[in-house]
Formats: sequence, structure tokens, C-alpha cells
Amino acid sequence: MMASFGWKRKAGEKVSKSAVKQFEAEAEKPEDKGPSQDEDVDWLHAIKRRREILLEDCAAKSKRLKEEGALLAENGRHWEAIKKWDEAIQLTPDNPELYEMKSQVLTILQEVFPAVKAAEMAVKFRPLWWEGWQTLGRAQLNLGEVELAVRSFQIAIHLCPSERTLWQEDLTWAWRLQKQQLATKEKIRQEEETKKQILNAPELNQDYDFESDEVLAACVAVAERQTRYEELKRTAVVLDAEGNVKNVLAGEEGSEDTATPSTEQFVKARGL
Amino acid sequence: MSTQYSILFKQEHAHDDAIWTAAWGKSEADGSETIVTGSLDDMVKVWKWSDEKLELQWTLEGHQLGVVSVDISHNGAIAASSSLDAHIRLWDLESGKQIKSMDAGPVDAWTVAFSPDSKYIATGSHLGKVNIFGVESGKKEYSLDTRGKFILSIAYSPDGKYLASGAIDGIINIFDIATGKLLHTLEGHAMPIRSLTFSPDSQLLVTASDDGYIKIYDVQHANLAGTLSGHGSWVLNVAFSPDDTHFVSSSSDKSVKVWDASSRACINTFFDHQDQVWSVKYNSNGSKIISAGDDRAIHIYDCPM
Repeated sequence: MMASFGWKRKAGEKVSKSAVKQFEAEAEKPEDKGPSQDEDVDWLHAIKRRREILLEDCAAKSKRLKEEGALLAENGRHWEAIKKWDEAIQLTPDNPELYEMKSQVLTILQEVFPAVKAAEMAVKFRPLWWEGWQTLGRAQLNLGEVELAVRSFQIAIHLCPSERTLWQEDLTWAWRLQKQQLATKEKIRQEEETKKQILNAPELNQDYDFESDEVLAACVAVAERQTRYEELKRTAVVLDAEGNVKNVLAGEEGSEDTATPSTEQFVKARGL
Repeated sequence: MSTQYSILFKQEHAHDDAIWTAAWGKSEADGSETIVTGSLDDMVKVWKWSDEKLELQWTLEGHQLGVVSVDISHNGAIAASSSLDAHIRLWDLESGKQIKSMDAGPVDAWTVAFSPDSKYIATGSHLGKVNIFGVESGKKEYSLDTRGKFILSIAYSPDGKYLASGAIDGIINIFDIATGKLLHTLEGHAMPIRSLTFSPDSQLLVTASDDGYIKIYDVQHANLAGTLSGHGSWVLNVAFSPDDTHFVSSSSDKSVKVWDASSRACINTFFDHQDQVWSVKYNSNGSKIISAGDDRAIHIYDCPM
């Protein structure tokens, strides 16, 4: 019979077990003084006091769960650690440290998107905490959000510029990736642009006197562009040791002959 | 002239990201008032303040990372900016052109401050050295060593005698500029000092710290003259009014507070920003205050004269 009321159990699961237990324990506590004994009960005060006790208990329990989770994480039991911290989050939903630790462990587990979400909560609740921003930046970098990571690391540095790892590891690395990404984007744009011009060469859009040298000049221009395109396709964006972005030929052959288009391409251009 | 403190003008979305720094200068040549702002969006923007509104004059591109600090030379002709990309850039405010770009070395450009004669720019470094760059030469001329920690804040005394620095560990150092000697080391705060400023008569030094307090020091005797509380979070910036009577502070509690310099009481609080307020400055005659912060807005306030 009980099992058929699955929906009820599900609804119950949404509320943290420890929170429920906490409330139940509170409710079962026998009152020291029966309210009937005192006619002038200060109900408002009593409720407020009760709430305070409850909040204090939640904080203490949350702290214990947090520590248990940390111990589990240290021993490589990552998913169990997350379970503990999730329980703690139910008790104290605005504690940034829980989200920050959770984000770190989620990153270890390669749960890249939840890691970003958790770190975002950490900086939301404690925006002046540089560690929160560092963890967010690292999570964003894992997700491939390089630009956002560079921003998060900058905020972290602005809050605590004396933290050397932020400069030397986090920002330097993310910034280098960002530069590489921008260079790659620019190269793709150039390639597209060159390709477009080959297919729709401006030189061929005008009327020519087919006897003149103009035709030859136009063909040479088109062929040169074709070479440039081939060249772009053969190069790759790489970073040298100093982090400077360079376009390097992927193949072993150099680019000595770029000035004089090869005959093969010359023929292609004429055939347009 | 107004008789009470009030917000006069708001420039919403002045930058594409948090505004970390602002400066207010006046041109000696034509008397025009210029505001310079620097942001996490890598941009330095130059605004003209006229007819009680801001007009964008230049967007200065060049820095490749967030702009941490800006200052304007005392004749109002040049702006200096420092960025997380470790470069200090000098800009001609008339033409909007970059005059110089100085590589301060990794991590070695934080707050920038023009000397009173505007011939030098001082900036702190991570090794506790105050580096002095020549505006004309574009090179590091000399440095003053605090033998301390990362220097977050720098200020010249208006009489040109002293230079004060505030470090990340809360230590304040005061140098004699003429001799280059370290005069005083004060254990000012237990937390980072993000801003400090001299009074226009160079008698007082006001410091702002992450501990939430503002402290006032008597410069000559290096005595603590007062500790002020009122902000609910880090105090991010302080600036003295040109008439010596007031100073203003901004905080990550989103407020801007005006303080009476003699009674040391907070006489007005502006709660107009949506987020942390990183920068606050007076204009040249003390009739206006500018503030800017994480909400990307620039606010101009009217002050009673």
C-alpha cells in the first residue's frame, strides 16, 4: 500500500531529511512550561525564540555536515562529499563556503556546468571573497568560457592583488587562451573573406576589353587571392613560449612562392 | 549654489562593466571640467562636465585588461591610467591620443598618482616599493622602499613634502620626498588600505580600509587623531574637499558618506548606487562629488557651499 503513494515520498524527498528531522525533533520536545499554566503567554516572543533556536541548530548541523563533506572530499570520496554539502545547503542556503567547496569538487568530477552554477552562488552570497571568484573562474575555464574566466580572475585580483597564484597561474593562462581564441576567430574571418572574394572576384565584375592587359592583371589578382586562401588554410594559430600569438604553416613547405602564383592556380583563375 | 546635499546627475551604463576608478580635473587652459573613468571593460573614458551634465568626449582604447586607477595632472592636460596588464598609459586629454605607454613590469602598477608639480607619477608595487615614473621620460626614475607588502594606495601631500602609501596588510608609510627617507611607519589598520588622501593643507592624512573604519592621522607627529565608523563593509575610497572642511568616502556597502573634518561626524549619506562604490572624488572647488562603482553608473552630487 505505502509504495503506491510514490508521489508523496517524492514530495518528501525535496525537503532535506536532516531539516525535517530537525523540525520533528523540535516539535516532539516537551514544553518545559505548559502554555495552559500561564494565561498571559507572550506567543510572539515564544515563536521568535523558537525560531532562533531552530536557526542556531541548523547552523551547527550545517557546520558538522560541511566538515564531514570536507573529510570525504579529502579521501577522494567526491560524490559522498557533495551529498553532505547538499544537505548542509538545505539547512543554511546562503552559506557561500558550501557552494565554493562543492564547485571545486564538481570540477574534479568534470561536472563542468554544475561547477559553474555552484561557484556563481558562492560569489552571489559573498561578492568580496576573492577565493569564490577564483573558483568561479576556474570552473568557467573548464566549461570553455574563456572570456568569462578572464573577467572572474580579474575581479579576484582586484579584491586581493597580493595573491600571486591569481596572477601567475589563473589570469596568465586564461588570458593567453583568450588571445589565442581571438586570433583563431580573426583567422577564420580572413579565410571566409578571401574565399568570398575568390567566388565573387571584384575584378571579374566589370566589362573588359578582352584584348587588353587588364584581363591578365585580373587573373593574376584572383590567383594571388587563391594562393592566400590556400596559405591561410594551411596555417595554424599557435602561441610561442612568451605567449605571443603567431600564425604558423602547418605543412613543412615554406611560403617563398607566394609572390608568384603557381601555374596550376593560374589556370583555375582563367577558367572562371 | 545649493544649500543641501542632493544627487544632481546620473550616467547609467557609463561603461560595459564595473567602474573601478574615477578622477575629476580642471583644465588650466580653458577652465573646462573633465572626468576620467576606468573600468573592468579595459576602457578609459573621458567626459566633459558642462551645463550640469556629462558628455562623453573620448573612449581611450589600449589597455588589454581592467583599468585599476586613473589620475589627472594638476593642469588638467594629461591623464594617467594603470591596468591589470601592468602598463601605465599617459593620455593627452585635449586630443584623446596616447602620449606614452610604460611597462611597469608584472604586477607592478596599481594606484597611480601625479606629483603636485605633475612631473612624476607614483605607483605601488607588489614588493612594497613605491616606483616613481617621469612623465617626460616615460621611465622609472627612482623608487622608495617600504620594505613591506603589496602597496594598494598612494597619495602625495599637496605641499609636495610627503608621500604616503597604504599596504595590503594595513600598514601606512610616510616618506619625506626631498630626502627619500621613510619618516613614519604606522600600524594603521589590520586589513588592506585601499585608499588614502591628504587634506589640502597637508596636515591630515585620512585612510580607508577593509576593516570598515576610516582613520585620521596628524601627519607631522604621526598621531592617530580619530577613528570613524559608519560604513557597513569595506571602505574603498576617500577624498578630501579642496576647502579642508569635509571629506567623502565610498564603500562596498553601496553608500557614499560625507564627513565633517572638524567634528568627524557623518553629515550625509547617499544611498543611490545599486552595488559597491569603488571611487569617489571632489571637483576642484568642492561644490560637487563624483562616485562610480560596480553598477556601471557615474553619479554627480551637489554639495552645499
